[in-house]
Amino acid sequence: MGENEQMKQTSNAQRPTPNVERPEHSTLGVELSALGVWRFLWRILDFVLAGIFIYAGALKAIDPVQFASDIDNYKLLPWPVSVAIAFYLPWLEIFCALGLVFRFLYRGALSILTASIVVFTLATIAAKVRGLDITCGCFGHASQHWSFPSHLATNLAILAGLLALLFKATFRNRLQNVV
Amino acid sequence: MKSSLVGQAVILAALALLPAAGEAIYFRDKISWRSAIAPSEMVTVEKAREWGDTAIWVDARPEDEFASDHVPGAISLNEDRWNELLPQFLAAWTPRKKIIVYCSSLSCNASREVARRLRKEAQLSDVFVLEGGWEAWVKTNR
Repeated sequence: MGENEQMKQTSNAQRPTPNVERPEHSTLGVELSALGVWRFLWRILDFVLAGIFIYAGALKAIDPVQFASDIDNYKLLPWPVSVAIAFYLPWLEIFCALGLVFRFLYRGALSILTASIVVFTLATIAAKVRGLDITCGCFGHASQHWSFPSHLATNLAILAGLLALLFKATFRNRLQNVV
Repeated sequence: MKSSLVGQAVILAALALLPAAGEAIYFRDKISWRSAIAPSEMVTVEKAREWGDTAIWVDARPEDEFASDHVPGAISLNEDRWNELLPQFLAAWTPRKKIIVYCSSLSCNASREVARRLRKEAQLSDVFVLEGGWEAWVKTNR
């Protein structure tokens, strides 16, 4: 019996599927779109963290005199070092944030931002332990009235985001091999 | 860009130096590298002596140091007994008199804090911090 005749006699439900690989294709399609969603979410995280650091860096770069005074309030560094950091750190934050946006020197930018947020957090805790009632200066005057817990929570949230991105950037190839 | 993590970090650190240096040059008159006080709020011993009777001296050091020795005519006003000493200072001060605050040396913070509080809390203007503090005054006058 010819194929055309057999198809005429078979109902639609019983008709053999010409392309048996279609279900696998659709699974792959779902996986690819899921991968796309994850990529999109990672990029959103890049942009959110970059936005935070560009905002924080710009506020401090506009008023380095105030930022030098804020650093000096921690009583950890001599004044000339505080001044040098006040001029340098905001620009380092801005450049690293731009690195996240444009994926330029990406892992270096992530590691610098992670190290800096760790140092800020430790300095804040040290100041609290020593009983210093000071503004952190992290976001210029915007963070003037932040309480210690909200300041600490913000820093830890940023740190978690940075660590996630750093982990993904470092182990991306290995993770892809596993998948 | 394919390079090691450390290499990337070094490149970024070097890039940030350029605008930082530019900003340091731009703000050179607004911030001092030697002291936390702006150059416009500081006065040298020589300049302070030129002001003579038009200025009033404020000793921001602890009381035992003030008792041991101080600038002639200076009034003690430190943060430990701020509420007690401020009225005494205000009684001695007359409007239009410049105020020169000093503490032990270049590195002490007490004069800066007292000057800041006089401006902010007592709403006084023409408050200056003596560059080099008591040490500089002794060196110049003895």
